[in-house]
Amino acid sequence: MANFDQLSAREIAAGVANGDFTATEVARAALDAVEARDGEVKAFLQVSADLALAAAEATDKARAAGEKLGPLAGVPVAFKDNMHLVGTRTTCASKMLANYESTFTATCVQRMLGAGATPVGKTNMDEFAFGSSTESSAFHPTANPWDTERVPGGSSGGSAAAVAAGEVTVSLGSDTGGSIRQPASLCGVVGLKPTYGAVSRYGVVAFGSSLDQVGPFGRSVEDVALAMNALTAGGRDPWDSTSQPVATDFLAHLNDGVEGRRVGIVPALMEAAGLTDEVRDAVTAAGRALQDQGAELVEVELPNIASAIAAYYVIAPCEAFSNLARFDGVRYGYQEPGQATLAEQTSLSRAHGFGEEAKRRQMLGAYLLSSGTYDKYYYPAQQVRTLITADYARAYEKCDVILMPAAPRTAFKFGEMSDPTQMYASDMFTISNNIVGNGGVSVPLGLGATSGLPVSAQLQGPAFADATLLTFARAIERSNSASDGSGAPVAPAFAGKGGELA
Amino acid sequence: MPLTREDVAGIADYARIALTPEELDEMTAYMNDAVDLLEPIRAYDLEGVEPTFHPIGDLSNVMGEDVPDDAVRHLPVDVALKNAGASRDRSFRVPSILGDQGGDR
Repeated sequence: MANFDQLSAREIAAGVANGDFTATEVARAALDAVEARDGEVKAFLQVSADLALAAAEATDKARAAGEKLGPLAGVPVAFKDNMHLVGTRTTCASKMLANYESTFTATCVQRMLGAGATPVGKTNMDEFAFGSSTESSAFHPTANPWDTERVPGGSSGGSAAAVAAGEVTVSLGSDTGGSIRQPASLCGVVGLKPTYGAVSRYGVVAFGSSLDQVGPFGRSVEDVALAMNALTAGGRDPWDSTSQPVATDFLAHLNDGVEGRRVGIVPALMEAAGLTDEVRDAVTAAGRALQDQGAELVEVELPNIASAIAAYYVIAPCEAFSNLARFDGVRYGYQEPGQATLAEQTSLSRAHGFGEEAKRRQMLGAYLLSSGTYDKYYYPAQQVRTLITADYARAYEKCDVILMPAAPRTAFKFGEMSDPTQMYASDMFTISNNIVGNGGVSVPLGLGATSGLPVSAQLQGPAFADATLLTFARAIERSNSASDGSGAPVAPAFAGKGGELA
Repeated sequence: MPLTREDVAGIADYARIALTPEELDEMTAYMNDAVDLLEPIRAYDLEGVEPTFHPIGDLSNVMGEDVPDDAVRHLPVDVALKNAGASRDRSFRVPSILGDQGGDR
């Protein structure tokens, strides 16, 4: 029969429901693909074979008992390793949490499982999500499936690479400044950062509490829509006080036309320093494809987003410092042995448990929150946040969505970006959306004319218009003749390696 | 004015991150680079602009009912303790919090 990596989430769920194959067969195929492919990709920090087979068996039993199956029945999924899942460690790719066993299951994970998904494992990431290349993982780097000498992006690099390599059908990541959209772009898959509050953060290790948002990766827009339905259909999560109800069927309008609808273009962004020609050309072509389908392109301005990186690198480190203060080596996490006082134990546990970038971000946050500095940076950054929010609100009076690049360039080589502040520029197109809390999606546009690596466009939209984003993303996907309009391919070096449906 | 090595050592102490002398040099260079990156924030005239601490709407603190959740979110003691570096009976175990030497080792 087919290789499971050629099937969409919808096809897998339908195949399981119809009895074409069992969830157990799909789970075994996915585990086989991981076995065959992950030695090179290294997307996973932990493969949860027992949980996968137990979940698949439960799905098969439910079908045998005549129960109605969930919309993700039997679909192999992976979770970023900052999401709690009982029966797995949750390490945040940090030595600090190397042995931390999940004590409960995150709402986002539980909802995917509740929809019938099969949990294949936990994926690699930049340590505590600080980074754009997954190189700051304390355990190992992850390779980009399109060129294994290059990074997959980050921080959700393992989740993006696992989908791009066809090891799983769908995965979840988290996005604080671009950590879903940038790796999706570098790995040639669809990645959605939903509006802040649309998906519960309960059970996801916090980085920047006013910025973090969980979202799905898939090889097609439809798979991402299916995952969004699973993540939001349960309504507001009472265990995340910032969770919002999202009464949207993400599939209902997926294939709607875009005729007569307006797509904003920000001329200054298309001329941004650091944006490569091949990415600019591909995004321009995506705009033309939307125009060909009857959409109208309109110019909009976002004058204050030039300051978004500065505002972000005030707000995010401050929130990170507050959140990571909990890692004191007492209740969980690395504990330095043999210390006479709690103060010494704490500062040495943190010194030896955290990697370099995690220390840098916390040090920056500690400085910015200190008295005298707060008024110079933190408060003004939150005022600039208001200006950026107002820019977007004005823009969305003139358009339904905004089209722009997701990442300035294609995947870079390991070690190529050695300077931390240079790495921060990787998120130049994504970061402003976290500042304002709106949704954004990365849509693959095939391979770049110069690099031969995946390039993509980003669509941003107003708050809680994430389904509209997917409608436009689907319109771009539909126009992509290289993939006959059905979604992005598995990276060729890995397609079909292991994963046959027995 | 750039941050000095002594400034950064003070921040590290406050952040409870013990840095080696070499790390302190690297961190000082990084902190000054990073703070330079933030300069655009200081170039604004922000008179009268309200801050946005939270991105979505009119959220304010959400208060839960002050009752124990024994049914679902309650962590059994053994689960709560299982990730601790040191524990005794039903408690986390820590070194002395008073003075440099005394207390429980």
